Amino acid sequence: MKTNLYFRRVAVIGAGLTLFRRRMLETPQELAWEAARKALDEAGLELKDIDCVVIGSAPDAFDGVHMKGEYLAHGSGGVRKMVSRVYVGGATGVMVPNTAWYHVASGLCEKVLAVAEEKMSPARPHPQSIFRYIWDPILEKPLNPNLIWIFAMEMHRYMHVNKITKEDIALVSVKNKKNALNNPYAQAAANITVDDVLKSEVLVWPVQLLDTSPVSDGAAAMVIVSEDVARRYTDTPVWIEGVGWTLDNTEWTGRELAYPRYLEYAARMAYKMAGVERPNKEIDVIEPYDPFDYKELHHIEGLMITKRGEAPKFLKEGVFDIDGEIPSSPSGGLLGVGNPIAAAGLMKVISIYWQLKGIAGKMQVKRPVHTGVAQAWGDLMQASTVIVMRN
Amino acid sequence: MSWDKIGIEDKLLSWHEIMEAEEYVYTVGVAGEEFFNGLKQKKIIGGKCPRCGRIYVPARLYCEECFVKNDFVEVTSRPYIDTYTVIYKDDEGNKLEKPQVIALIRFEGTHGGLLGYVEGEANIGKEVEILEYKIPLIVRVK
Repeated sequence: MKTNLYFRRVAVIGAGLTLFRRRMLETPQELAWEAARKALDEAGLELKDIDCVVIGSAPDAFDGVHMKGEYLAHGSGGVRKMVSRVYVGGATGVMVPNTAWYHVASGLCEKVLAVAEEKMSPARPHPQSIFRYIWDPILEKPLNPNLIWIFAMEMHRYMHVNKITKEDIALVSVKNKKNALNNPYAQAAANITVDDVLKSEVLVWPVQLLDTSPVSDGAAAMVIVSEDVARRYTDTPVWIEGVGWTLDNTEWTGRELAYPRYLEYAARMAYKMAGVERPNKEIDVIEPYDPFDYKELHHIEGLMITKRGEAPKFLKEGVFDIDGEIPSSPSGGLLGVGNPIAAAGLMKVISIYWQLKGIAGKMQVKRPVHTGVAQAWGDLMQASTVIVMRN
Repeated sequence: MSWDKIGIEDKLLSWHEIMEAEEYVYTVGVAGEEFFNGLKQKKIIGGKCPRCGRIYVPARLYCEECFVKNDFVEVTSRPYIDTYTVIYKDDEGNKLEKPQVIALIRFEGTHGGLLGYVEGEANIGKEVEILEYKIPLIVRVK
């Protein structure tokens, strides 16, 4: 079932990434430029061809510069152009192409340069402190919590409700870090075992060091255009067929943490637009957001690829391996490639784009792929963004 | 009821907090390294676009119009005062012993500029001589 809404068709024709590393020498603007330049080169366009720029970046406080959209403008090619900056926490990375999509689908723009950048390393001692003011100042702040605390609580709840063990979850980390060995941009690629994960340092029980993604700097960019333009510049455009996004209540204490209902709604929105009726049968490759290993399973369930609580079973059977039926995070994900927040989300979309275009190189999955989904997640565990693409 | 912002601290339900991160460590970037290494040798380094020829001061890695990588060049053109202002108080409101003149220094034929403290009689358009190569520059009106 497709919706009756009339949109112009929107395609991706180019993408670019910088290395994902901790403490890059480049300034945030220089990182943005590098990714944007590569995306333009892949598309065969120049900056003068671009009529609109979308910039995505998570909290200003990571790079330590306020008005980060404005700050990044000249590195993103936005000088004297129509510029929008989007920000929905960790979900920003996928919101960037979603925003570019409606700029083009609405008929407003023809050629959009979509750029996401994050530099997590300037804040000392650790960027985790940047999250200090996302909490309710009266009820939660006095505990001085950090994000790993609440993810630990969400992970524990997910494990308890669905009777999942730490071993089941550790397999995600093993898979993604291994996939990242094929990714030339990756920061934390490794051949590890479940045992390594279980023996790594406990950060906040049940979250251990190898359950998490690293601190990273990096940028990503895409060129997103209307159908007419896409046909002129490439024989193999990748179409953005569905987009979805939702925000849940900021009072996370009021939600059932074992299941991301808000993600299900975002996915339903995107699937409806793309005409996907049976996600587990119709989707060939996925990039669910994985800042922590349990999050990938949590999100696979939210994306309705499996039933609730069943993602670990399919993972164990190898369904989500790079040569499996529905490869998940073939790029290596945030666990393997790194986590410069907004750029990491866009990296996932780029991974799906490269897979569908067939130019993912060593990352290319074994089976032929036609429909791919990327997803990101953020804010106070309350925002989710989904994109469905086809070749 | 009053709209006063001042109250009796103990009787208010409020929290006081420090800022988020203890400190930030910013990198100067690829072009920044060229520029600051230049300053050490008493040189102004700019970034010149190989396509349109525009020279950015301070040096920038890329041309924001053509979006190609710049070449780094030494800027030798005449520095002059583009605009200036006079500061009478410091940021805590204390009166300065001597008013401080701060100017935007541009270099002829280039794009951008640097801020500097000015000695001598400042005037818009006047040529200056760079006394100290640092941020901010210290310049004297010629």
